[in-house]
Amino acid sequence: MPSKKHLHIESSGQVCIYCGACVGICPLNCIYLDETRITFDEKVCTRCEICVKACPVGAIEIG
Amino acid sequence: MAKDRKTDVLVIGAGPAGAMTAKWAAKSGANVLLLEKRQEVGSPVRCGEGMSKDWLGEVGITPGRWVNLEVEGARIYSPSEKVFEINEKHAGNEVGYVVERDEFDKQLAIDAGNAGAELMLKCAATELLKEGGKVVGAKVKQFGESFEIRAPVTIGADGFESQVGRWAGIPTNLAMRDMDTCLQYRMTNVDCDVRYCDFYLGKVAPGGYVWVFPKAEGLANVGIGVQVSQVSSPADARTYLDRWIAAHPGYAKGKKIDMVGGGVSISAPLKQTVADGIMLVGDAARMIDPLTGGGIANGCIAGKICGEVAAKAAHDGTPTKEFFQAYEHGWRARLEEKLYRNWLAKEKLVTLQDSTFDKVIDVLAGVKLQKLNVHNILKAVHDKYPEVTKEFEAFL
Repeated sequence: MPSKKHLHIESSGQVCIYCGACVGICPLNCIYLDETRITFDEKVCTRCEICVKACPVGAIEIG
Repeated sequence: MAKDRKTDVLVIGAGPAGAMTAKWAAKSGANVLLLEKRQEVGSPVRCGEGMSKDWLGEVGITPGRWVNLEVEGARIYSPSEKVFEINEKHAGNEVGYVVERDEFDKQLAIDAGNAGAELMLKCAATELLKEGGKVVGAKVKQFGESFEIRAPVTIGADGFESQVGRWAGIPTNLAMRDMDTCLQYRMTNVDCDVRYCDFYLGKVAPGGYVWVFPKAEGLANVGIGVQVSQVSSPADARTYLDRWIAAHPGYAKGKKIDMVGGGVSISAPLKQTVADGIMLVGDAARMIDPLTGGGIANGCIAGKICGEVAAKAAHDGTPTKEFFQAYEHGWRARLEEKLYRNWLAKEKLVTLQDSTFDKVIDVLAGVKLQKLNVHNILKAVHDKYPEVTKEFEAFL
C-alpha cells in the first residue's frame, strides 16, 4: 500500500490564525481546533487536500 | 461526578444564534445553560461586521452601543468598476448597520442572562450523551475538569466548524463549492465612504466578492470571500485580497490594523436540522445566506423560534424529532424560500464571465427600478442586452 503524503498544519501561530475554516470543511471531521492548537487524526485523514484549499492563509501544506 | 448538572435546555455555543435561543427558551420558562468554550463571548471577532436592521424588532434586539454606524446603502462594483447603488432597504442582509461584533454578541449574552439563562464560560462540549439513540445532553470540560450536563433538549449553536451536528448524525458536510474561504483586514487611512458598504464582483474574488465595510472616516473592514472550489493554490484568499488592495490606490495607501479569517457556508438549506433531543441553529445549521454570506439575522430569527420550541418540549416532556418539526417548519417558513432562491442565484453568478457582470451592472446603474427584485432586474437587462438574460432563463 502506498504511504500517505505528509500533511503539515502550521498552528504554532506563525501562519495559522485559528479561524476554523479547515475544521468546518473537513469531510471526515478529523481536524481539531483547541484555542491555539490545531491537530488532525493521521489515521483517519485521507489527504483529500480540501483543507489546504479552504485555509485562507496557506497554513496547511501537503507533500 | 460531583459537578454533573441537569437543566431543561442546554445550548452549546454563545454566539448570536445560541444566545438568542437561550434568551427565548428562558423567557418561555425553561431553565437554560448556555455554554461558551472561550473565556469571553464575542471575541475574537470573525466577521465582516455588516448587517441589515429591519429584523431586529422581530426578535427583540434593541440597537445599542454595538452599532458602529448606519449606512445609506450598498454600491455594487462590476469588474470594470461600473457602479450600481442600492438603497439599504433593498440591499440584502449585509447592509444597514456596520457593527462592533464583539459588543453585539455581548449584548445578546446580557439579554440571555437577564432572561434567566446561565452562561458557563470556558466550557466546551466534548461529546453528546445519548440514550437509545436520543441525545440527552453533553459531556463538557470546564477549567480542565470533565463532567456531564443532562438535558431533555440540547441545541447545537457551535458555528461554522460545528461538531454537535456531526456528533448527532445530522448531515452538515459541505462540498467545496458550498464554502467560501474568507480573509479580512481592518485598515486605517483608507478612502472609504461611510455612507456605503461596497461590494466588488467578478474575477477579483472567484465565486465570492471583495467587501469594504466602513467603520469610521478612513477606517474600514476590507475583506474577501473566495469559493473553495475556485482556489488554485494555497492562501489564494490572501493573494486575491492583497492583489485587490494593491490595485486600488485609496486602499493601497492604508495601514492594516488587524486580520481575521474564517469559513462561510454558501450551501442550499440543510434537509434536516433536528433529531431526537437535539436541534441545530445558526451557522451550525448552515443558515447563512449563500448569496451575501450574512448569517447573523438568520441565526437570530431561527434562534427565537428554536428557543420557544425548546422550552415547550422541555415543559411538555416531548423532546422528540416529531415535536421539533415545529422548529423545523417554523424557521423554514420564515427563511427557506429566500435561502434557496439566493443559493440558485449564487450558483448562477459563479459561472458568469466578467464581461457579463459588466453588462448587468451597466444596465442597473442606468435605470431606476421601482422595486429591486430578480424579475425586474432581468427585465431591465433583457431590454438592453437580450443575449445576457439567456443565462438566467431559470429565473424567468
